[in-house]
Amino acid sequence: MNQLPVNDPLLTTTRRQFFNRCGMGLGSVALASLMADKAQANTPALVNPFAPKGGHAAPIAKRVIYLFMAGGPSQLELFDYKPKLVALNGQPIPQSYIEGKRFAFMGSSHGVKCLGTRKHFERRGQAGTWVSDMLPYTSGIADDIAVVTTCATNLFNHAPAKLFMNSGSGQFGRPSLGAWATYGIGSEANDLPGFVVLQSGPRGPRGGAVNWGSGFLPTTFQGVPLRGQGEPILNLTSPAGITAERQRRTLDAVRDLNLQRLVATGDDEINTRISAYEMAYRMQSSAPELIDISGESKATLDLYGVDPAKPSFARNCLLARRLIERGTRFVQLYHTNWDSHGGPGETLEDDFPKVVKDVDQGCAALVKDLKARGLLEDTLVIWGGEFGRTPMGENRDKTGRNHHIDAFSMWFAGGGVKGGQTIGETDELGFGPAQDRCHVHDLHATILHLLGLDHLKLTFRFQGRDYRLTDVHGELIQKLLA
Amino acid sequence: MKFIAVIGTIAWSAAALAAAPVDYVKEIQPLLAQHCYQCHGATQPKHGLRLDTAAFAIKGGQSGPAIAPGKSSDSLLVQVISGTHKDITRMPYKKPPLADAHIALVRRWIDEGAKAPAGEVPGSKVHWSFVAPKRPEVPKVISKEVISPKDGKAAKSAPLYTQSLITNHSHPIDAFILARLAKERLTPSPEADRVTLIRRLSLDLLGLPPKPADVDAFVNDQSPDAYEKVVERLLASPHYGERWGRWWLDVARYADSNGYSIDAPRSIWRYRDWVIAALNRDLPFDQFTIEQLAGDMLPNATMEQKVATGFHRNTQINQEGGIDKEQFRIESVVDRVATTGYAWLGLTIACANCHDHKFDPISQKEYFGLYAMLNNQDEPDIPLTSPDDSKRVADIEARVAGYIADVWKKDAGIVDRELKWEGSMTPEQRQGMSQLWREIYDVPPVQRTDAQKLVMVTTFLENAPENKTHQAAIKKFRAEKPKVDTTMVMREAAKPRRTYLQIKGDFTRDGGDVKAHFPGALHPFKPAPDREPNRLDLARWLVDEANPLTARVLVNRVWQQYFGKGLVDTENDFGTQGALPSHPELLDWLAVEFQKPTPSPHSASPIPYSLKSLHRLIVTSAIYRQSSAVRPELQRVDGNNKFLARQNRLRLDAEIVRDVCLSASGLLTPTLGGPSVYPPIPENAMALGQRKQPWPTSTGPDRYRRGLYTFYYRATPPPSMNVFDSPDGYSTCTRRMRSNTPLQALALLNDTAFVEFAEGLATRVLKEVPANDTARLEHAFRLCLARKPSAAEANRLVELLKEEFANVTDAEAKGVKVPAGVEPKQFAVWLTVARVLLNLDETITRE
Repeated sequence: MNQLPVNDPLLTTTRRQFFNRCGMGLGSVALASLMADKAQANTPALVNPFAPKGGHAAPIAKRVIYLFMAGGPSQLELFDYKPKLVALNGQPIPQSYIEGKRFAFMGSSHGVKCLGTRKHFERRGQAGTWVSDMLPYTSGIADDIAVVTTCATNLFNHAPAKLFMNSGSGQFGRPSLGAWATYGIGSEANDLPGFVVLQSGPRGPRGGAVNWGSGFLPTTFQGVPLRGQGEPILNLTSPAGITAERQRRTLDAVRDLNLQRLVATGDDEINTRISAYEMAYRMQSSAPELIDISGESKATLDLYGVDPAKPSFARNCLLARRLIERGTRFVQLYHTNWDSHGGPGETLEDDFPKVVKDVDQGCAALVKDLKARGLLEDTLVIWGGEFGRTPMGENRDKTGRNHHIDAFSMWFAGGGVKGGQTIGETDELGFGPAQDRCHVHDLHATILHLLGLDHLKLTFRFQGRDYRLTDVHGELIQKLLA
Repeated sequence: MKFIAVIGTIAWSAAALAAAPVDYVKEIQPLLAQHCYQCHGATQPKHGLRLDTAAFAIKGGQSGPAIAPGKSSDSLLVQVISGTHKDITRMPYKKPPLADAHIALVRRWIDEGAKAPAGEVPGSKVHWSFVAPKRPEVPKVISKEVISPKDGKAAKSAPLYTQSLITNHSHPIDAFILARLAKERLTPSPEADRVTLIRRLSLDLLGLPPKPADVDAFVNDQSPDAYEKVVERLLASPHYGERWGRWWLDVARYADSNGYSIDAPRSIWRYRDWVIAALNRDLPFDQFTIEQLAGDMLPNATMEQKVATGFHRNTQINQEGGIDKEQFRIESVVDRVATTGYAWLGLTIACANCHDHKFDPISQKEYFGLYAMLNNQDEPDIPLTSPDDSKRVADIEARVAGYIADVWKKDAGIVDRELKWEGSMTPEQRQGMSQLWREIYDVPPVQRTDAQKLVMVTTFLENAPENKTHQAAIKKFRAEKPKVDTTMVMREAAKPRRTYLQIKGDFTRDGGDVKAHFPGALHPFKPAPDREPNRLDLARWLVDEANPLTARVLVNRVWQQYFGKGLVDTENDFGTQGALPSHPELLDWLAVEFQKPTPSPHSASPIPYSLKSLHRLIVTSAIYRQSSAVRPELQRVDGNNKFLARQNRLRLDAEIVRDVCLSASGLLTPTLGGPSVYPPIPENAMALGQRKQPWPTSTGPDRYRRGLYTFYYRATPPPSMNVFDSPDGYSTCTRRMRSNTPLQALALLNDTAFVEFAEGLATRVLKEVPANDTARLEHAFRLCLARKPSAAEANRLVELLKEEFANVTDAEAKGVKVPAGVEPKQFAVWLTVARVLLNLDETITRE
């Protein structure tokens, strides 16, 4: 097994021969002759920074699909069933729960009274997992998923909390989970980026690119946003009037001249650039092929509920499957907007059910589809937001709930996860964890573990210290592991 | 070429290599600090053994004394670090062993008696960087005497150094580097050719490529000071301020938006322009520091000095709903302390926010002592107008306010209509409103004050489609209003804020008052006797002559720009966990020379802290002028080029990638300064943030401005900048990454802006050179790379031309917009050539 890179991944990544990686054939003859001319044994082999790398242990999950519910879904309407809260509906929450706590919108008078859910809950599947009626499709995969009801985070405003969920820190400049993963184990995709981000919903997630940023890791490892329609990757399309043949001729000339410069200077970086251009060229055809779902069967489209003419979360779920089939290591889907304060466009009554409906079928279809194709066993699927919602109601226009960080629900399925269970238990009102608190750092440690990475060893030296995704925290959540 | 002569034989001075006694402070203590203190420092030392002073080491721990002075083989320390002790496992525990050379050094030090300064105090003023630099003697490398390798026979891996060598060592930088190369038995590389040199200089000093005419002039200039003349011309160019201004703006975490989720645009470009102008007039670095940190507190502060304080306003502002404002104000102060620590002191002071620094002598209390000096300011936006204009603006706004108040008074239903309007807005629309508006929106209507209602009504009147008549009236008032630029500044508050120690860095946990004070391990500073030190004192303390760090940190970061890495590799950590300098004497010499420059015939009383002098000093060295070609034999022994026996090839910074291509295209608008601009970016690039920010793509000259003027949204940075590792503006950046990715290839190949550059280059070549393929190719090549193509390169390009003529169809050629006066097929063919040239690795690399 390879040692993980310590400092400079570009220097220490697995190096492979140009002839193996490049696959173009065209450059090889030129390269060979140039090399022979120069007869320099030390001319370095071409490098692919994404080349798959061994982790610290054999991975159980080889890929991750992270369904990020941006804005913070209400666990109390979906997974965390609290009859006592229903009984206390309209009563002030006991002072003991909220003493010394800070919330968003603290200065306002919104939200001190208990809000019992109006949704009907039932036990689902063999495991008897509580899931509300709002999630009929997710109810159908109850035995594949592990619901964690006691997730906890540190920050209660959207942008910092999203950053925290993605990078383990509310400070800007730290690498995201997907960046750490691809830094740690590379990618198996030859023609597509190793870390891809897809978005749906009315707007982009708050904080933007930092959510999938590479922080202090090389930008090689940052998430590449891919759009389901139009030009899938920024600048992917050749300029107007430039045919594929002409683009190829252009690239051939660039490569040959770069090779001449490589021989003249002996600089390894030129190798990397040549590889990058070849990858870029392959992406120009592979990315449009990826988003072209016309070859998917009607049964598959129906399973996901995809309307081929429209962008949607469901379509992104399908694209996520297509991406991991092509070797992409980490796919993150963002769906907005789950923020449910009760104001116009954010009510639990009218707006929240729409967002739930946006995602329910696609999530379940993804798990089923992966399972049917034998991909679920080594693909980790994660569902959750940056935080949850308070047991207290917030009354603005209509009903809502405030941001809540003490206990909220996420679910995990697939690679290495023991499905068909509920982990953790919240107190009677669903305010905080009664047992098995699973902090973001613990989730990160566990996700890395499933990928064969030890969160204590996956480090990068920056500003004088070795940084980890989990900072100085993180315990494996043993119950989650199969 | 004054400094360099290449001759056939070489020589090193034996004197330069004579063995001096090992210096504990400089050579041993840093090793122990780096490898041992973590477990054997002041805090809970393992097995009772402390190694943070020589006396402690001699005293030893549970296993007895660690050092037997004079007897290295009997010393426990030597046995465990070399792994020869029979019971104790090799140290450092579970970490890589010390280098053999370092173990040998420790042995020598012990054998020489393990001498250390008397009264050594653990953890204070001992670490090399905490001792103020003294000007070291410049080594003498004499060229007549050839010495043999130390052991009398050539080591297998040592290259022969009886080859080419620099023989004139009048330049101190060369003397230091050559002395070290001699010690390592390495030879420097020959000087790069003149074309490479002028391109290197132009890119390094201006961030722009040289014009072909300038290249020719330099190549043909036979005068002995031809090189120096180019250096002086470039240092005098206003574009110098742009190139090095951007270098400083990285540290300042400059960007044009507020960050966090809303990421609304902000106006602080006047600060950016201040930096450019300050560098162009070579404002000495001490004054440059003081004005940025505390310009507002200087006596009779000018407007420009106030503008300079924008430095610490480049923190983010969270405009999200429902936030605790004090929390985010505190976050910005925390960022200011961190930035000040990295930028001037090269210390990870930020680590002491939550606890005493684990490795460096900075307690959490001392952290808050510094914090207190950065905690007392108000943070206003100030108008940059004449007093007359300010008054006119105020008058007009008073009339608008009067009009609105009148409507409010007379129109009884206005509040209800306003409420109905705000209730009908979607979340996305609400996101587009001002922060004040959104805050009031969160207050239930019955609880709103009259003042709050008036704000809402004003917004309603100014924006709701139903109020067209009112809007027309307001517009009329404002028709005469002068345009007011504002900028963000610091303003010391009359009443100081209380600073308290935040337990575990949590601002909700009050650990008691902390008064402003400086860390005890660093140089003392006496402010006025009757008060605590303030922000201005902090600035003066940073550039105090006694400060051991600031000058070293600064010269190191300038050095880093020229060679790709600093003499201290960890450019923002000069603490005990940082890397040791590769050339400690050179670093100190440069630092002292920066602070107290040596008079020369050129200048009898040179200005201290002159950045231009520092640049001049570095670029006139022979070391800087070496070829960057990789040498196989050198690669084996010094793969990271630590000893600088050659130059390094460096991929250009994001902005300069743009500038180089823009210059080659002939489209560049060289205007300095002004509001940030909006060159074309890919469609939908702005859709990735929470709020889709406007991008009013510039037309006309502003479309072709230098990269540093591109409007920079933190949450949705311009893609072609971002893929080339432009810093994100979220925290200080003291060294950029240099990644090399497929997305960069896509940007250069397909981004609208770069396609326009290729079109410009093709057009230019067709128009500027008569119909001759060879001449045109050479011209295009030189516009991108300064040099002429080799025969093989020219052949490949001729082949490309043929391919394009054969393959590009008339339909393809006519399918695009062809510039006037250019034949479509010619244009198409040359467009391909231009795209190839702009995509070459060398085009975006400083050789």
